[in-house]
Amino acid sequence: MTLPVSRFQEALEAGEFVVTGEIGPPKGTNLEPVIHEAETYLKGRVVAVNVTDIQTAVMRTGSMVGSKLLLDRGIEPVFQMVCRDRNRLALQSDLLSAHILGIRNVLALTGDHVAMGDHPQAKPVYDLDSVTLLQAIAGLEAGTDMGADMKGNPNELDGVPTFFKGCCVTPCTEVVEPQIIKLEKKVEAGAQFVQTQAVYDPATFETFMKSIDHVKVPVLVGIVVLKSAGMAKYMNRGVPGVQVPEGIIQRMADAPKEDRKKVSAEIAGELVREMKPMCQGAHLMTLGWDDVVPDILANAGLKN
Amino acid sequence: MRDGDLTSRDVATLPSTCELMEREWAPCRHACPVHADVRGYIEAIAQGRWRDATDLIRDNLPFAVVCGRICHHPCEANCRRRDVDEALAIRELKRFVVELQGAEGATVHKAASQDKARVAVVGAGPAGMSAALDLAKMGYRPTVFEKFPVAGGIPATAVPKYRLPREALQIDIDWICAHGVELATGLEIGKDKTIDDLLAEGFEAVVVAAGLAKSRLLPMPGADHQRVYPALEFLTDVSFDHPVDLGQDVLVVGGGNVAVDAARSAVRLGAGRVRMMCLETPEEMPAYEWEQQEAQEEGIEFIHRRGPIEILLRQGQIVGVKARAVTRVFDENERFDPQYDDSDVIELACDTVIMAIGQAADMGFVEGSSLKQDDRGRLVYDAATQQASLPGVFACGEIVTPPGSAVEACASGQRAAVAVDLFLRGQEIRIDDSLPPEIDCIAEGTAEKVINVSREPVEAVPPQTRLKTFGPIDKTLAQEAALRESRRCMNCGAGAEVLVDKCAACLTCLRVCPFDIPKVTDVARIDSSLCQACGMCIAECPAGAIIARGWDARGLPARIGAALASAASDGHAKIVAFICGHHASAADWRGEREPVAGVAEVYLPSVARLSVSDLLAAFEKGADRVLVVACHEGADRYPQATRRISRRVDQARQLLAEVGLDPDCLRMLELADENREAVHPALVAAAGTLPAG
Amino acid sequence: MIVAERKPFDEILEMLAPYKRVLVLACGGCVTVCLTGGEKQADELASQLRLAARQKGMDLTVESDSITRQCDREFIEDLKTDPGQYDAVLSMACGVGVGFMSELYPETPFLPALNTTFYGANTAPGAWAEYCRGCGDCVLAWTGGICPVARCSKSLINGTCGGTNDGKCEVDSEMDCAWLLIYKRLKELGRLDEYRKIRPPRDHRTDRGRGVRRLVHEEMVELEEEESKA
Repeated sequence: MTLPVSRFQEALEAGEFVVTGEIGPPKGTNLEPVIHEAETYLKGRVVAVNVTDIQTAVMRTGSMVGSKLLLDRGIEPVFQMVCRDRNRLALQSDLLSAHILGIRNVLALTGDHVAMGDHPQAKPVYDLDSVTLLQAIAGLEAGTDMGADMKGNPNELDGVPTFFKGCCVTPCTEVVEPQIIKLEKKVEAGAQFVQTQAVYDPATFETFMKSIDHVKVPVLVGIVVLKSAGMAKYMNRGVPGVQVPEGIIQRMADAPKEDRKKVSAEIAGELVREMKPMCQGAHLMTLGWDDVVPDILANAGLKN
Repeated sequence: MRDGDLTSRDVATLPSTCELMEREWAPCRHACPVHADVRGYIEAIAQGRWRDATDLIRDNLPFAVVCGRICHHPCEANCRRRDVDEALAIRELKRFVVELQGAEGATVHKAASQDKARVAVVGAGPAGMSAALDLAKMGYRPTVFEKFPVAGGIPATAVPKYRLPREALQIDIDWICAHGVELATGLEIGKDKTIDDLLAEGFEAVVVAAGLAKSRLLPMPGADHQRVYPALEFLTDVSFDHPVDLGQDVLVVGGGNVAVDAARSAVRLGAGRVRMMCLETPEEMPAYEWEQQEAQEEGIEFIHRRGPIEILLRQGQIVGVKARAVTRVFDENERFDPQYDDSDVIELACDTVIMAIGQAADMGFVEGSSLKQDDRGRLVYDAATQQASLPGVFACGEIVTPPGSAVEACASGQRAAVAVDLFLRGQEIRIDDSLPPEIDCIAEGTAEKVINVSREPVEAVPPQTRLKTFGPIDKTLAQEAALRESRRCMNCGAGAEVLVDKCAACLTCLRVCPFDIPKVTDVARIDSSLCQACGMCIAECPAGAIIARGWDARGLPARIGAALASAASDGHAKIVAFICGHHASAADWRGEREPVAGVAEVYLPSVARLSVSDLLAAFEKGADRVLVVACHEGADRYPQATRRISRRVDQARQLLAEVGLDPDCLRMLELADENREAVHPALVAAAGTLPAG
Repeated sequence: MIVAERKPFDEILEMLAPYKRVLVLACGGCVTVCLTGGEKQADELASQLRLAARQKGMDLTVESDSITRQCDREFIEDLKTDPGQYDAVLSMACGVGVGFMSELYPETPFLPALNTTFYGANTAPGAWAEYCRGCGDCVLAWTGGICPVARCSKSLINGTCGGTNDGKCEVDSEMDCAWLLIYKRLKELGRLDEYRKIRPPRDHRTDRGRGVRRLVHEEMVELEEEESKA
């Protein structure tokens, strides 16, 4: 039995209900404020913090440097990697670099299309997808890369990395079977944990979890912290697979502006509390409102 | 590529795409004994081109006015429109236009020089005069000998004036003579001169066209009474206004057209009762259906299945006719072989008898010549070369063919002229009588999609009025009616043809055809038996692979240029108006109406054939603004035409905008189906309000 | 077939600025079928150019002609005009034709009147949609005939991403999510096992990975001149 390569992995394997957070690097070199937020509100409270990779195709500082700076501050990062921007050479290379920097947790994602972001003229790469990226990671861990030498034999790595690799899934789509099959493929390719897209309806989540009962990897339910009723409506319209129920939207709408964070934390906390028995953890996507994390954890009845 | 497929190379060698219409003929043309270009002249009528129509008719038919009145119109019987709604009233259209133009309004194609051999023609009927005309056009010097004081043959001597006014016949005679045909009336060959005399006199050929000028007589007791008239002689007397001693109770023996002519003439001469007695049943009666009907309307009673055996006399007067029953007229092989029941005899009262049991030849012309006759007295004659037994002597018309109509006589005379010409040039007389194939009937599926329009009725003079005079029994079509009727023509054979080497099988033609006609496999092919010649596929084919047989699809820009040049502008903006002429008057088409300053009006049979390129060409030719005047949706000759042109106008407007021109310089109006009172002010308004170019 | 669109008129006019005598050359192949570059469209464009020239006082003569195809050498023999006699040829062919004809007439600039866009099918009268990317490694056998390279915005090969919005791709709401279509089709065909398989990353060498792609059918290569034998 191999030893866990990260605290995140260790906690999951120990059967703890784990919570992860998330930070998004800035569009620019001023990374410090975001790292500071993580230090202030997330450190010691969540087991690991995801660093997004050019999220929604809006150009930003990369997730590798963000992950490294978190490490320097004693916070365990989850290094998010999207397939949109780099081909298999660059992805494999970055994985080696990440390992050298001490990064162990990796989330393999396909990545939003360039059309969604602020550089729609850019060339979308997608040389690998989430499934084949996981395979590539597993390959590196096995001591080889995706290429071959002059004679056609597999390459051998000089120094072999280890990772704790995960993937995502969208539990609340209308046609869910393709998501399930893809999840099965991701797990077959080597995924060791799952962080889901935002879920606001525990009943739907329960059904989903039952349908993936045969998929034996830990699942962290995703919660996106609502900032306003408007944001909730926008997500309902524009973000695939996210459905914020009317009741929650109403609560946000009824909350006076100064109380929004409080109500948001309540909602998030309740959701975590309700869905805790169904899964192995929660992934909090705070979109900058990291200061509500302590309240969410408290509302969820979780320590730390 | 299949047999019959056309390529752009095939077409490049043709002087005009209209030559393609010679590859297969519309049934009207095919059935016409002289193969007149019926479609062509009907199209000319539809566009108010009276002279063109008349010239086209007379290219094949010298006796245009005569046939316009009396032709039995096999063209109509074969008109493909009969499978849609009703056949075109082709004879009525011909009558309308040739009488409108008269002789002066028809072009005379006199030969540059008439200095070839002299040819004598015996008989100035349709056969003889047609032969003479063609010989004159070829440069020969024909002289037509006619025993009667007037030319025309049966149309002059025996066709009643109520069917054919003599002034009408004269138009044809005058026109024929204007080509250099010499007429010698009152001269009987075989009496005043012989055929041998003619040959000795310097005529290098003789064409015998003596026709069937005598009535056949049936010998029987009483037949030589003075009031027993052979029908043709009776009709001739009537034609020349000679007094006829007619009783009050006339019995006409016979069931053919001559019998009906005689009976209806007798009515007009004042006979109290006129009856016809014939061997045949109503269905077998040889007289034309419409003749039978008109006769019955005039009170003439038909007695069927009776044959005369005796004319009863009492005190020197005819009191009746004894007639036996007929059991059958035709045998199993459809040959004339009447059988009688002599036990069934009746007496029909009458005081005058007219015998119209058939025509016979007057062989008098043979007298004094060495022409041979067969044992039945008929001229020895070779149908293929039309030669009689003497070298240089030819024959045509009913004297040698089976009894026929005026137009069939014309055809026979024209063929004789060809034979004479070959003979006089020392060549073998070999005439190719083959015809191009006929276009097939229209399939039901397509016929259903053609917009139905009823045939224009002919206004008949009421029977009670007309039976009192020898004046015309019906009226010529009025101009508006003639235009409407001519626009029912489906233009068989003039439609779209795919140049298969250019076709990319893109399916556009199939998609825009309102009749779903093109079949697209390796390439598109358009069945000429279905195509309605609307021109939509031609206007929309992206490969420019479809041409029109009947018109130059790329010819519109030249027309636009000419129209703009002749439209007065004096500082006005120049406007080209493409107008659907389907409801327009002849004056509109001919440009004989009050023009709108600066507007060049270009009339089209339908806007369906107007392409985006044509619209842009108008601007290139100098138009500041262009107007498309279409019919209201549903009023065009073709379905969907207005909607299709509307899209093309939108497309063209976009292309104009791209160039930096104001798209409003091109506009479309839907009112071409309204009359000039509506169109004129719309043009004026458009000329005034469209933006300056 | 290859689908192309007419370039914006102003762009074409700008391209022609250095030239005085121009031939607009239609192509009777794919561009005729998609109603963009056929003889009719060439005539219309030539007309527009002449009108524009007149409008703007440009010294520009424009004629038009058409050719069966601009991607095979032999058809130039059928041309009525001689492209070499013009300052430039405005070709209505797809990019293939423009490039190929440029080689056949090295002294004459061949300009593209069209933007070649995609390989498409005629989905309805007047409408074409992209069906193929020419990737050189067709996977339609196990995607139920629906191409994930052409019709998935990300050209994924292992199934839907998270961006399916109401059955449509979040990138283009007019566009069905190709992988959802594939999933449904495979399910209908009882071949969901194909969806379950992990497909390895694509080999991009067949798809622009190595520059110009070629095809040679050896049996059709021109016969060599035989040396005269003894």
